[in-house]
Amino acid sequence: MAILLSSRKTTKRFGGLVAVDELDVEIEEKSIHSIIGPNGAGKTTFFNCVTGFYRPEEGQILLNSHSLVGLMPDQIVRLGIARTYQNIRLFPILTAMENVLVGLHCHLRANYFGILANLPSTRKEEKKAAEEASRLLKFVNLAGKGDLFAKNLPYGEQRRLEIARALATRPKLLLLDEPTAGMNPSETQIMMDFIRHLRDELGITILLIEHQMRVVMGISETVTVLDYGKKIAEGTPEEIKKNPTVIEAYLGKGGAAETMGVAA
Amino acid sequence: MSRFNLWKHGVKAGLLGGLITVLLSLMGMVEAFSQRQIVSSILSMDYTLLGSVVVFMGYVAAKRTTSAHLPWVVINSLTCGLITAGMLMLLLVIGDAINLRAVFVNASPTLYQILSFGHGFATSPLLFVSGALGGLFGGILYILPWAIRKMLIVSLVSVVGAGVLQDMIRPTLAAWEMLTGFAEWLFSSNGLTNQGAAALFILVAAIILFWSLKGRAVQSGFRTLPGKSQKAIRWAGIAVLIMILLVLPQVLGLFLSEVVTIVGLYVLLGLGLNIVLGYAGLFDLGYVAFFAIGAYVTGVLTSPELGFFSLSFWQALPFAIMVGIFAGVLLGIPVLKMRGDYLAIATLGFGEIIRILVLSDWLRPWLGGAQGIGKIPKASVAGFEFGMPQEIYYLILAGCVLVIFFSLRLKDSRLGRAWKAVREDEDVAQAMGINLVATKLLAFGTGAGFSALSGAIFATKLTSVYPHSMNVMISINVVCIIIVGGMGSIPGVIVGAIALVGLPELLREFAEYRLFVYGLALVVMMLVKPEGLWPEAVRRREFHEEEITEADDAPPPVAEVSR
Repeated sequence: MAILLSSRKTTKRFGGLVAVDELDVEIEEKSIHSIIGPNGAGKTTFFNCVTGFYRPEEGQILLNSHSLVGLMPDQIVRLGIARTYQNIRLFPILTAMENVLVGLHCHLRANYFGILANLPSTRKEEKKAAEEASRLLKFVNLAGKGDLFAKNLPYGEQRRLEIARALATRPKLLLLDEPTAGMNPSETQIMMDFIRHLRDELGITILLIEHQMRVVMGISETVTVLDYGKKIAEGTPEEIKKNPTVIEAYLGKGGAAETMGVAA
Repeated sequence: MSRFNLWKHGVKAGLLGGLITVLLSLMGMVEAFSQRQIVSSILSMDYTLLGSVVVFMGYVAAKRTTSAHLPWVVINSLTCGLITAGMLMLLLVIGDAINLRAVFVNASPTLYQILSFGHGFATSPLLFVSGALGGLFGGILYILPWAIRKMLIVSLVSVVGAGVLQDMIRPTLAAWEMLTGFAEWLFSSNGLTNQGAAALFILVAAIILFWSLKGRAVQSGFRTLPGKSQKAIRWAGIAVLIMILLVLPQVLGLFLSEVVTIVGLYVLLGLGLNIVLGYAGLFDLGYVAFFAIGAYVTGVLTSPELGFFSLSFWQALPFAIMVGIFAGVLLGIPVLKMRGDYLAIATLGFGEIIRILVLSDWLRPWLGGAQGIGKIPKASVAGFEFGMPQEIYYLILAGCVLVIFFSLRLKDSRLGRAWKAVREDEDVAQAMGINLVATKLLAFGTGAGFSALSGAIFATKLTSVYPHSMNVMISINVVCIIIVGGMGSIPGVIVGAIALVGLPELLREFAEYRLFVYGLALVVMMLVKPEGLWPEAVRRREFHEEEITEADDAPPPVAEVSR
């Protein structure tokens, strides 16, 4: 399988704190890849480096061998990387429909004067965008909710709307930051099936930050473990479960027995 | 529950009402309002003001009552009215004992006379009687069914409104020969006549009653009409509106047309800032700068007084707008990274810089310094000169129509959505592929262009421009208009401009209390109706969603945090 995204010795510092430390990660095309690690391990910081919110001090991040370091977030999303946020960040007082339409922004061409003149091309484009947005809302099971303000949707629907908005940018790689946070077991199961479905049906590569071991072990093909910004382990879920370094990072020395319980 | 709990809300509301009425009295508002009669020789505006506070607090007291028993509701509103009256009485007693004028200049004998109903302490018990009646009326309003309450309130407000706006309505009616008799029947020389007030009350009440009985049927009847007829009715409505707008200045006469033109200039400004603040969420407090630039560019290019150019208004207008847009973009560049209050402060400074520049001696040879620029020519089209306010009106109307058209086109476009996304969350908007630099600069440029258009018309309207008319109060007025009208709403801007610019022009009594009323209006709007007087349809619905329906499945606590 080809490599879609690769990070080479990516380092991000905040003053004296090294949040991401010479991180080497390679993400295979059409895989589901999880990043796990204790709180403060640098997982979200790495996401921010990939999406251009932070600029890493050292190292390279390549998408299909195209360097992302130094690009603005709006340029990176155009290259095909979309993300969701740990604490849902929708546009609260825009409708669900408008949220998805904003996601389509980079695929629309209308310019200022075309809009003022309401050119046929602008009208046609708007109509097509509205159709695509409705289709996406339907895809994430939010059909009929397009006119509601995002902030008025229940929690689970907000999560799904955020994914629909990310999908609207037509990504090759989707970064999901704790998509099952705050969900009960049955909602979590639905989300897991949905993520698998994204990969299988749409062929989107998924990079996932997750705390629920059930999700990580259940859906990912590769797991990368971070601790203090460093990669301490990488492998299939089975390998990670047994890795003594990982167990130590999570529970300290001597916590092996309990860890097996958590992981299972 | 202790017994006090049952009537504490009456006491609270009464104390609050007392504070408000005492404040209004000591501010001089009561005395200033005593000149104007609402209903001739029965009700003057000062008592209307005090009375409406008492009734409102009585209503609040009744609404807050924890007990559902009717007597308790009545007792609460009665207590409220009595306490309010008591506090005014206290003011009278204190005012009698010591001279309050040293601190409160408005604590005059006239004020005491008004508060004691004319004859000092002999008639002051009337204060308690009317306080109690006012409170009771508030309580009764609360008890009455919704439809009747609405009918009473709207009818009373209409009568008071007609009385307050008598100077506007009477001459308008009198301008039509056949209505002169009607105007005399309705109005006396000061205030409505008795029969006029009664007739108006009954008329409005009847309309409200009819609408609450038949309104639903009419609305659903409209909805069941075929699409074509619905469209036809809408178009007919728009046609009627256009007709009214076209003949308006002929009906209104000189003074009111002048007021309407001022409102129109503020509508232009408001629609411009609506793009910057309402759509893109960029808090621009130096917005008057672009108004000044539009006015001054027009002045410099057209006025023979300076002797550089003597273009006509129409030749100068494109330059004025272009320079405005350019200045908007130029200001936008350094403040691109700023947000919220930082942006407000930076732009506030920019507005002041422009004002001080045009005032400066340094630029005096070009911009006229403190004397400003005079002899700016009137705009004219094919020999028709826009001179009188009634004529300028059409120029401003054309400007408003153009700007409303632009705003409507932009609102739901790719660009409009990008602006709104930036307003909601700048970082995420960028992560969705929105180029922040271009998007923000387009917002600044568009808003500045509208503002410059307003400034150019202002210059040709006055035929002169002065630095002192470019002060920061204009920026603040425009911000207030947008907030009170409804952020991001085009009709809201118009309603806001009428309410905050038109009404104060009509009510000279208010002139002194303009800022007080602005402040009050802003606070009340934020508390009661944060979406504005006339919000967009979506906002009207969605802002009060939680009051109407419960979410199907209760969201987990995390959702509360994210809101």
